[in-house]
Formats: sequence, C-alpha cells, structure tokens
Amino acid sequence: MRPFKFTKVNDAANAVQTVAANANSKFLAGGTNILDLMKEDVMRPDELVDVTRLNLTQIKTVSGGVNKGGVSIGGLGKNTDAANHPLIRQNFPLLTQAILAGASAQIRNMATNGGNLNQRTRCSYFYDVAMPCNKREPGTGCGALEGINRMHAVFGWSNDCVAVHPSDMCVALVALDAVVKVQGTDGAERSIPFIDYHRLPGNTPQKDNNLNQGELITAIEIPKNNFSDKSYYLKVRDRASYAFALVSVAAALEINGNKIKQARVAMGGVAHKPWRATEAEKFLTGKEATEANFKQAAEMEMKQAKPLEYNKFKVELGKRAIVRALMQAMNGGKV
Amino acid sequence: MNERIKNVGQAMNRIDGLLKVTGTATYATDYAIKNTAYAVIFKSAIAAGKIIDLDTSEAEKAAGVLAVITHKNAPKLNASGGIRGGALLQSPNIEFHGQHIGLVVAETFEQARYAARLVKVSYEKTDAKVDFEKHEKEAVTPKDKDRAEASRGDVETTFRNAEYKIEAVYDTPIEHHQPMEPHATIAVWEGEKVTLYNGSQIVNGAQNAAASTLNLKPENVRIVTPHIGGGFGSKGGQWANLILAAVAAKVVNRPVKLALTRQQMFNSVGLRQRNRQKIRLAATKDGKLTALAHETTTHCAINGEFVEPCGDCSKVMYDVPNSLISYRVVPMNIILPTYTRGPGKSTGSFALESAIDELAYQLKIDPIEFRLKNEPAKDPSNGKPWSSRAIVQCLKEGAKAFGWEKRKIEPRQNPQGNYLIGYGVAAGTYPARQRDTSATVKLTRNGSDVRSSIELAASDLGTGTHTILAQTAADALGLPINKIGVRIGDSALPPAAGSVGSVGAASFANAVNDACVKITDELIAKSGKQFFVRPTAAEMMASENINEFQTRVHAKPPADADKYSSHSFNANFAEVWVNDSTGMVKVQRFVAVTGAGKILNPKTARSQIIGGNVWGIGMALTEESILDSRWGNFVTRSFADYHVPSNLDIGSIEPIFINEEDTIPNKLGIKGIGEIGIVGVAAAVANAVFNATGKRIRELPITPDKLI
Amino acid sequence: MEDESKELKLTDDEQELLTELLNDSAKLSETGKSRRQFLRNVSAASAAILATQMLAEQKIVAYTPIENVSGASSAIENGVKVVMKVNGAEKSLNVDSRMTLLDALRERLELTGSKKGCDHGQCGACTVIIEGRRVLSCLTLAATCEGKEVTTIEGLAKGDALHPMQAAFVKHDGFQCGYCTPGQICSAVALLSEAKNGEASYVTADVRAKARAIQLSDDEIRERMSGNICRCGAYPNIVAAIKEVHTGKDVAQTWQFAGETGVAIFENAEMNKEGA
Repeated sequence: MRPFKFTKVNDAANAVQTVAANANSKFLAGGTNILDLMKEDVMRPDELVDVTRLNLTQIKTVSGGVNKGGVSIGGLGKNTDAANHPLIRQNFPLLTQAILAGASAQIRNMATNGGNLNQRTRCSYFYDVAMPCNKREPGTGCGALEGINRMHAVFGWSNDCVAVHPSDMCVALVALDAVVKVQGTDGAERSIPFIDYHRLPGNTPQKDNNLNQGELITAIEIPKNNFSDKSYYLKVRDRASYAFALVSVAAALEINGNKIKQARVAMGGVAHKPWRATEAEKFLTGKEATEANFKQAAEMEMKQAKPLEYNKFKVELGKRAIVRALMQAMNGGKV
Repeated sequence: MNERIKNVGQAMNRIDGLLKVTGTATYATDYAIKNTAYAVIFKSAIAAGKIIDLDTSEAEKAAGVLAVITHKNAPKLNASGGIRGGALLQSPNIEFHGQHIGLVVAETFEQARYAARLVKVSYEKTDAKVDFEKHEKEAVTPKDKDRAEASRGDVETTFRNAEYKIEAVYDTPIEHHQPMEPHATIAVWEGEKVTLYNGSQIVNGAQNAAASTLNLKPENVRIVTPHIGGGFGSKGGQWANLILAAVAAKVVNRPVKLALTRQQMFNSVGLRQRNRQKIRLAATKDGKLTALAHETTTHCAINGEFVEPCGDCSKVMYDVPNSLISYRVVPMNIILPTYTRGPGKSTGSFALESAIDELAYQLKIDPIEFRLKNEPAKDPSNGKPWSSRAIVQCLKEGAKAFGWEKRKIEPRQNPQGNYLIGYGVAAGTYPARQRDTSATVKLTRNGSDVRSSIELAASDLGTGTHTILAQTAADALGLPINKIGVRIGDSALPPAAGSVGSVGAASFANAVNDACVKITDELIAKSGKQFFVRPTAAEMMASENINEFQTRVHAKPPADADKYSSHSFNANFAEVWVNDSTGMVKVQRFVAVTGAGKILNPKTARSQIIGGNVWGIGMALTEESILDSRWGNFVTRSFADYHVPSNLDIGSIEPIFINEEDTIPNKLGIKGIGEIGIVGVAAAVANAVFNATGKRIRELPITPDKLI
Repeated sequence: MEDESKELKLTDDEQELLTELLNDSAKLSETGKSRRQFLRNVSAASAAILATQMLAEQKIVAYTPIENVSGASSAIENGVKVVMKVNGAEKSLNVDSRMTLLDALRERLELTGSKKGCDHGQCGACTVIIEGRRVLSCLTLAATCEGKEVTTIEGLAKGDALHPMQAAFVKHDGFQCGYCTPGQICSAVALLSEAKNGEASYVTADVRAKARAIQLSDDEIRERMSGNICRCGAYPNIVAAIKEVHTGKDVAQTWQFAGETGVAIFENAEMNKEGA
C-alpha cells in the first residue's frame, strides 16, 4: 500500500471537489474493497477522502418525481441497514435477500450501498499484480480469457476482459429498475438508470461504470412495484455461505389472474455488469406462471450465452437457477 | 487432597480455555518486544529460471526501510539443514512460482509492505513443468523406500479373469493447510543466541533445523510456541520464513517480526499434492475380494521428494489375496508438498472406499456387509496380529446410531421437495505409534499444599495437549488437577516428540506418566519404608516432609510393540442433501465412530474428531487449488478463492467412540485421534452423493457444476 | 451488546485464573499498563498453580519493557491523530494513514487478542465491535476511528465475570487452536443483539415478516456465523455455545461410547460436574 494522504471533509460538495481535483484520489466509504485492493497494490491512490461521516444514510419513501412512492436509499448507508429497513423488507424483499446473500454480517455492517455498486471484480488475475490484466493495467492482456475462467463471464465479455461484477445487491437493483443518484462535480445531481450504471468491458475494461472522477453516489432510488409477494434471490456457490456466486438470479413476478403481468429476471456471476435477462422477461410477459414456461424463458435467455473453456457449466446452471428462482418467487420468496 | 479423583477419561474443559476466550493466549506474533522491526517477504513471479537482475534501490530509499535482503547479500546458510522447500535466498535460481526471493525490513509494517512492492526483478525464464496432465507420463518410481512397490499374489491375472470388478481413477486436487494463524516468527538475538517465537508442531525439530541451517549449536536456538494457531502438518517441518526472520534480525541487529500474508501461505509452506489414484478391485459373486491394486501418480518439487502414502489404507483394510500398491512421482516446478492432515490416508481412503462402494453396488451387496465379508484376521501387509481392530464394531454401532437400515441400495430413491437425500458409508484407519519423549516432573510442598509442574517440549496446536497432560499427571501423582501446571512449547524443556502423525498424545502422556511413576518410586525409595498399599507421590511428599523434589525420564515405546500391527479404525456415515436444481450439496448429518484406544478427554477428543470430519467434508465438497499452467501460479490464492468450509457448510456431527483397551502400542493404550477423524470422510460423502443422485464423482471436490 | 441474564458456572480454578486476567484488564484501563506488564508482575504465590503455570508460560517470554518504536513519530508517514475509546478507555494515537485498526490494536495498543488471519476480510479473525456492530478491523483504517467506541475480546468481560459467550465457548469447547476464537466470540456477541433486533439473514424463512426478536434455528446461527472461518472445524461446538447463550437454556452435547452393552451417552452438563 503506497503512502496516501488521508483527507477529512465536512460535506458532500467538499468531498466531490476534493476528489475531482486529484485524478489519483478516491473516496473512502466502507473500505471493504478498496483497502483490500490497496493492500494487494491493485489500486494505488495517493489520497483517500473519508466520506464515512457524511449524512447520506437515510432510507425513506420517495416523495416526488418519477419514482414517487418508491424508496430512496442513502449512498453512504450500510448494507445491513438497507437490508433490514422495514420499507425494504416489506416492499422490496428481493433487495433484502440479495444483500443478505452477499459477504458476511461483518462486511455488510461496514460496506455502504454506494460502495457496493462500485466494488471491483474478484477475478484472480485482476487481484494478482504478477498477472496480466487489462482492467488493472490496460494493454497487458487478459489473463483469464485463455486461463482459469471458471468464475468468469458468459455474456457480454470482450477479448480484453472476461471478468464478472461480484455484487449480489446490484443484481436485485437492476431487476427492480433502480436509479442511481449522483452528485456531480458541478454540484448538480444527475440520475443514472441502473441498467446504464455498469458497463460491459469492450476495449475499456478499466472502466467498471459510468461514474466520473469525483462524482459521489448520494442515493439509490427504487420505483414502487407490485413484486413484493412474489420475488426471490437465488445464489449458487461453491460453498454454502460467504462465497461469490457461480450464478445468481433475482426473480420477481407480478401476476394478474393466471397470467404474468410483469416479470423481472436478472443474473449475477455471468457478466461484467449485473445482467438483466430481458429475453426471459419478454417471453414470460403474458404467459402463465408454469415451470414449463419458466424453462422456456431460461432456455431463451441462456441461448445467447457464450461460455469460455472452464465455465460451460454456467449455461446449464443458469437455466436451472432461473427456473428455480422463479419457482421460489411463485412460492412467495420463502426459503 | 488425598482423594483419588480420576481425571483421565473425564470430559474436562481445556485448562488453556480461559486464555483462549479472553484473547490472552499468545501466538507467534503476540509478543511485544522492544525495538521490533517488521519484515515483509517478496516472491518470484516466474516458476522456473533465474533472477538476472534485482534492483532494490527504490525500496532501500523508501521511508523507514532498514534493509533489503536478497540472494545477493543474504548470509551464507546451510541449505541442507532440515528446512523444507528451499527458498533460503542462497542463489538466483527459481524452482517454483512464489519462491521467496527477498525481504524488506522496516520500522513499521506499513513501510515494509510498501517497500517490498518497489523491488524490480528481471528474470531469465526457462520452461516450467507445472501442468500435471502434461507431465504425468514422466513420473518415476519414488526414491523413498517406504513408497516402494508392495505386491503379493497375482493381481493382473486375477483381475483380468474376474467377473465382478471395478477399475476407476480417482483424482484429488492440490489442497492447502491454511491454519488460521499464518506462519509467523519473531526473532530475537542475544549475542550468538537466538530466540524464535514461532508456531512449531515439533518443537525440537524446529530448533534443530534452525540451528543447523543458521550454523549454530542447537542450545543456541530457542523455540517458543506455547500455543499454535493450527498447523495440520504445515508447522511440522519448518519452512524458510523461520530462517529469514532470524537472518533479518541479525542483519538489522534488532528483533524482527515476520508474518506471511494469507496469499503467501499458498506457496510458502508446502501443500497436499494432487493425486491420481487408479484402483482395481475384483470380487467373487458373493462378495469376497480377490484382487486390489492401488496405483498412485503424483508430483513433488524439482529438488525435493515427498509422496503422501495414498496406498496405506489399502494395505491393511481388507483381506485380499492378490494385492499391489505402487507410486509414481514427477518432479515439477511447484512447491514441495508435505504432510497434510491424514497424510495419504484421507486421500487414499477416498479412492479405496469409493471403489468398495462401487463394487458393492455392482454386486448388489450392502456396502457394510461387503466390508464385513472381507475382514482380515491379521494385518495382510505383514502377517502381524492386530493389537486391536475395532472396525467391525465401528461399522455396526455406526449403522445403528445413524439409522443405516433406512438406506435404499438404489440411488435417487429418497427425494424430498427440491432435494435428493442420500446415505453413504466409508471406513478408515491410521497407525498408532509412540515416539521417544523426555519429561520432567517437579513437586513442591508448602505445608499441606503439594503442587506439581510438568515440563516437556511438547506442543499444543489445539489438540488439547495441555489438558490431557494435566489429567494424566494428576492421576499418576494423586493430586487434584488444579495442583498441576503444564509447561510445554519451549525447546528449553526436555526434548519431546512432535504433534504430528497422531503420535503426540501417546508419546507425551506416556512420558509424563512414566515420570510420575518414577518420582513416586524415588520418593518411596528415599523414605526407606515399605508399603502394603502404594502411596502417591503427593502423600510421600507430605509424610516425608519433603519440600522440593524432581525427576526426569526418557520414555520409549514398549519393546514388543513392533510385533503387532496397531491402528485406529473408524466408520463414517454421511447423510447428504443435494439440491436437485443447483447441485449444491449439504452434509446434513454425519456420524463418525472411532476405535482409537484410550480416550483421555472425551470433550477435546470429540472436538478433534469433529475437526477431522469438517476437514473431510471440505475435501469432499469445497477445497481445490488450481494452477494456471502458463505461469505456474495459483489462481486460488486467497480465502475468497480457496474455499475451506464455512459454518453453514457443516450440519450435525455425532462422534462415537468405541471403548477400547489396548496397551500393546503403549502402556496407557493411547492410539491418537488427530488424523483418524479425516480418514474415510470424503468417501462417505461421495458415496452418499451417489446414493442421492446416481452420479459417481471421482474427481474432488464435488462442486455444483459436477452435479448438474 | 447486552448483558445476558444467564450465567455459566466456571470451575474454581477457572474463576481464579479469570480473576487474575480481569484484574489486569482493570489495571489496563486505569493506568494504561498492559496485560503483559501484569503478566510479568504476577506473583506465583497468588494464584492456583494451574493458573500461574499457564500465566508463567507466557510471562517467561513476554520479558521486555514496552517502548513501542513503531509508534515513534519519525516512522509515521501521513500521520493522522486519532482519539478513540477502546474497551472503555480513551486512547490517543498518531497513526500512519495506512495503519488498520487491527494493526493499531496489536502493534500499538498491546491488544493482541484480535487476530490477523487473512488481512483481507475473508476470515473474520479480526472481528471487533464498533458502536455495537461487529466489523472487520483489518479493513478499517485506524484513521477513520476518531471518536468511535471499540470493543475487542479483551473488553468483553465485566468485573470478575466472563461474558456469557466466553463462558459458553469454554463449556462447549468452541475452539481448538484458539486463533479464530476472539473473532468468533466478538461476532457471536454482536449476533445476539442482531437477533434481538429481529435482523434477517439469507436463510430467514420470510424476510417480509415484521422485525422482532427471534429465536434462531441452528441454520440461522450457522449462516450468521459464516463470516468467521474456523480451520480446526469447531463449528458444531460454536453453534452449541451460541445457542446456549441465545436461548438461555442448556444445550446438551453428547459424548458417546459404544461398548459391549451398547452406546452410553453422557451429556455435557453432567460431564461438566464430574469432570470439573
């Protein structure tokens, strides 16, 4: 870990200005990922701006705008608090389950909601500075493309990067059409639809998302929905807990009569960004909520998958996980 | 104080328990020593070749840096002094990825860590052998005589002509010990003497290896290790980090603290090697085994051989007239493998006991019945009588406790909701041995208050050594246990065997018992009196008005022990729930029945068995290290990538012990339990997975991708 | 954190040793002296030999006076002044901006109970409680702890009584090597309040249910403790210890011996009486 300046700030504007003024400065929120990466010399900021004390932690009902009646979650609130807030548990249980599927209680107590969005990939080539990695050091090549890529992407990868986004929370957020509220360097707030927040790697895998240097996530808004009684977050992993997903699925259904009025399906562990399974959603809309239809939706979604040498299993596992998550959602999301 | 309370055999709390729950037990880096500097190691980024240039100038200029030590300036050491795995900075040659190539010593840990990143290294790479699949065919017969081919009868002909047979290859991956305490040392020099605070399963072994490597007399090296944060074999032999700490302290002329990082642990302190085991088993229609061949191919280091004995269980488990046990090994550019919990037996029993299950299924014979049909009356490998063999009892009692009768012989017969439930059984064995150990017993008296101190260079890596020795001494001296002090984990004490290979309890406790018997004899002799009822040492101290008395013994295994074959045995029963959609497996219930001689403390013994079972479940389901053959690095180089079991991975575990009195291997009848707990576990789980799903997984671990 | 009503009994010897240890903690907060100093000063005559021997073992090796060079200002880069409360005592430090709370506790404050298992948030051995919440001290910069209340394993006991969780870990043998234990216990103590607050976990049957104090199933305890890796595999004993404190009821652990006459089962409570 290189020496760095530790900067305290009083308000969000001050924080944004400070980080915007120094290209090698980073916000320090929960610290659960950035310190991990700094110890490994993967990230080498020369300044950390401590935003842990900024008052951006509230969870409240959105009182106006397009997401009126939905919920707003403070960017610097802790994951634990988001997962357990009554507004979230009762109205967005999918988000609660997704947060609780991630990491450990200790990490969720530290990690912030905004920080969760900005966590880096867990690709072991990215983490090991002795290995090539275009995300860490553009131009060095992708170690995983022809390497041990069991944990890697099956959708949307490029020859420059096959890493996946590691978050569980974000899989639920993309399924729920969340919006990221950002305080810009000009002091103005901008809104980024969640689906546009993270990026596919293309030829700039060093950019995980569309946030500019200095921009601070102030809140995440989730619009009101009718999924609360039929949603489920399924996480498949190599051990029972405290492991990153092989494949995860956020599933939510709104049923009208015996037909699916609206379906939301998103996947984790399969792409450089939380993957919205739009093919599956399109197919399911207007169909009956049967296992056969779920299977067909899963087939359609996974048909587009392009697996790598060691992750071919993710195609079949992805199908099964989609079906299982939808079945569990129909069962009221109960474990 | 004259009450003869029996302590041995009681389920007592650990006497070091309070230290451990209050955070006051001291591990290697927990000693605050004045003026300590911090060292951080840096490692090779290639697997084979040599260092052609090493630029340390930037690191040396960095704030707080006291020294940068590499092969260019490291003191000359005796590289064949007993340190495992090389990497002592004696040459520019690189033999594996992650070999230590230098270290930075600085005022603070933060400074040392940063400066270690500033060293620039250029290499001349040569072709590295890191792909086992590619180099397997180059494997040769091991030099180790204990791994020589052992054969009897005619396996080839019998197998060829057999009607019922199994031929299968079982693969187990590289695994890492990864004790929770990473290997770490504080080195403190005083003149020509060095004290090394360092977790050491074999205290005197560490002392001798350090002395020899540093060209010192053994008495000038002191190892201090009262508590060890786990070892599982990795702290049995000692590795270069111990020596590098001493070297660094010498160079900067200050105490130095050197802890390996978790990532560095993956290629610094040995590993369990990958094994490819081919099993051939043949039987008659009614289930009598006729042939057993167990052929293992594995890898070792370029300049060091270690082959774990995967065929050991196959030598002694079953009565089979035609048998072949063999090994082949290919030296590769991977760190030297070493003993890992249940060495050879845990991995070997996965192959053997899976194959037994496969053949039983082919014969449509219950796998317990199949095993019982092939019980050997004496050790088939050497013809010696068993000192005791509890395997039949283990299988029968286990079947009862587990509810084996509910198991269906055909797979996939027990679905529940989205789960497939399966039952599996597997047996195991581990040899029982006693090793030479010295011990001192001291008695002090103050009025009616008699106390004792037990001293020997034994070790406790969580096994419960402190506690069982206090129990043993209390009974042997006739003192309440709270009057016994136990001092171990210090090479300044009488030399002792190590906590390795399940020899610790037998070696230490017999030595302590002998010392207590001897001190009683000496007190009686000193009194010149004769007694109808033998008095205790405590009584003699009081009746003879003696205030201080001590004696020392050197205990050896019984002379006749070698005439018998002495082993622990077990039977493992697993109930698994396989998620039919996701392929995730949970071991919901596990019953382990163990015949391991005298159980000194059922509470700590039970914990040891549970721990072994958890290791076996990890072997079965989660643990695997993967190399990238292009560079020879581990891509699974953190606890996020290398999955040891988490709490939720473990269901209910019920250990059962067989009452077993067997004083042939040693006077106290102790067989040891550290290793037996893992043996047979992976096979029981894999057999249960077959029973649940109909899928026979012969390549561990059984991750979800293998079951969908 | 809360005080549990149920108190587990220690043996006399354990209590004696504990008193020695805790007296030291008291001294620590009063005078700033360290445990190590206490260990050096402890009189062999003042405690049962079981206790003193265990302490003596440590005393022998912890022999040097504490003048921590790593705290010297010359070695500090990008120094940050921090005042925090550790186990009730105010601590003022000037730390390198890179220093983690874990390293500050261990290398500067002589509180070596918190352990470095991985230094990357992947094992839980460094778990401490900040403002009532369990967190990882290895991923917390000391510089961010200004004004915070930190509780480590050394601060859990009150007066001359162990925290019930500590006592339960001894009773149920919730450890072997003991290295992960301080983190396990801090984690378990915080878990109690999380359960009391009705916080959910990934295995909670219905997260939509209104949050209220919950009785945790074994799987709930297992999931909530999965951030603390124990390589010795003491998990079943850890779950038993937590369950006992959580429910306030004895949790039976059985030792079974199979003999000619069948399986004899002894329960923990009974064995404790006999054994201790």
